[in-house]
Amino acid sequence: MLGRLFIQTLFLLTFIPVSTVFAESSSNDPRVAQLAKEVRNKGSIMYSARTDSSDWDLFLIRPDGSNRRNITNTPDFHEMGGRFSPDGKRLLYRRLSKALKFHHLKWGVQGQLIIANSDGTDPVPIGDPDEYPWASWSPDGKQIACLEKTGIKIYDLTTKRKIREMGRKGIYQQLFWSPDGELFCGPANQYGEGWGVVRLNVATGAVNSVSDTRSCCTGDWFPDSAHVIYSYRPANQEVLDAGEMAQRAGQKLEHGWTQLWMADKEGKEQRLVYGEDGRHIYGGAISPDGKYVLFTRSHEEDLKVLGSAVDQLGAKKKGAPMALMRLSDAPTIGGESRALRKLHPNTKDGPVLHLPECWEPHWTYAEIAVNK
Amino acid sequence: MSEPNRAFAFVLVLNGVLAISCGQAGEAGVDHEVTSLGSAEVTARLLEIPGEFPPNDLYDYAYVLKYRVEKVHRGKVLGEKILVAHYNPLKPRSSVQDEFSGLVGGNLKKFRTGDVHRMALEMPLDLLWMGGIFDKYFSQRGIRYWAIWTNLVKK
Repeated sequence: MLGRLFIQTLFLLTFIPVSTVFAESSSNDPRVAQLAKEVRNKGSIMYSARTDSSDWDLFLIRPDGSNRRNITNTPDFHEMGGRFSPDGKRLLYRRLSKALKFHHLKWGVQGQLIIANSDGTDPVPIGDPDEYPWASWSPDGKQIACLEKTGIKIYDLTTKRKIREMGRKGIYQQLFWSPDGELFCGPANQYGEGWGVVRLNVATGAVNSVSDTRSCCTGDWFPDSAHVIYSYRPANQEVLDAGEMAQRAGQKLEHGWTQLWMADKEGKEQRLVYGEDGRHIYGGAISPDGKYVLFTRSHEEDLKVLGSAVDQLGAKKKGAPMALMRLSDAPTIGGESRALRKLHPNTKDGPVLHLPECWEPHWTYAEIAVNK
Repeated sequence: MSEPNRAFAFVLVLNGVLAISCGQAGEAGVDHEVTSLGSAEVTARLLEIPGEFPPNDLYDYAYVLKYRVEKVHRGKVLGEKILVAHYNPLKPRSSVQDEFSGLVGGNLKKFRTGDVHRMALEMPLDLLWMGGIFDKYFSQRGIRYWAIWTNLVKK
């Protein structure tokens, strides 16, 4: 009897720490339920996702995943890249004929820019197709900054008049204007052998790297305008599974897995927010109060980066699974992720709330009444 | 020249004309596109391929390669050694063009160190390609040319 108790105790002492470390947050985890309850009434999340009609529409959900509503409902068009205005009253996005395909790297230059109410009503085309690429709201919502080969151009939304133009300094996609209006961020060439996220001073044009300059992209601002969230794929991570995951993903061993990182605007403090070996993490977006982070995780079944499994954006899928976590729980590592845990032994492994499949989520705390 | 020889010479010339007019570069890499596109045209030797071209499964990208210029046929390039950005270099030039690349092409099937290419070039790169660039020479100042058309010069 004592022997059995000893074995049971030994088992528990051995198993509990391991299960705590390696447990993937699930709907059965009471911490996840608590997180869902905590965020439920904190505004709305907007995202693009494929419908049953195979077009991409914009959807709204409560941050706990409830009350999902399709706010565009356009079977003949795709809608992509929705961003709330800073006051949460309007949104901008790109609209593209369903006959065409959105490209996961180029969606900001495709189709037509649309500005609508944040519940999707009253969509108004801005300019002609292909105009106003990579449009980003100014802090007061009266202007947009656009990214073109010839530079960054700021337009007044009422008059459509170009107010200012400046060099893009190597930024080539996903331009975002900081909430304080003083900076732009975006992935850029020219600062290393590959590309990284940079910040660009709107007044002076001065630029500096925020992230590592090897395969960092999809940067976006924290509400304090002092930090940036971005995706980073560190290459040559140690392989502890004899390459099994990489083989299943059809990628080279040294390719690595894309993780979610954050940095201060000087790029001096760069740290892991969320990572999971075998999955690529993109779409980082911070809640308006800076306490939570949204991101997408590539599908487990094919271990592929969103967009590469079958065709761009995953034709047979509705997007990549969205997730939400507290920033105070960073760094958190999902799944077994033996190699990543070895690199980051002090992870907090906080609860992760799993949300619908999506593309490019964005969050507002403004209340949106949807009557459609 | 005898009648048969004259006929043979005519066929040879005709083949050459047809090859050029049909976009098939001859041994010198000459075709209509390489001789007319861009602001400069060079024959240059590929000195090295730094690193390994990444796969195209996620990114379309440009990759900067270093050449030694053997002859400037048209326009002007700065220096004997030049840096040239090629779009998605894992793909044969004949099928590399896509809806985002602008006009790019040629007959080159594979990039190999030591090969000689006849290229139609343009600059500045920023006005021609807005996407990821792998540039192992980023610490070296100077112009990055954009390769619009790249033909293999047969040895």
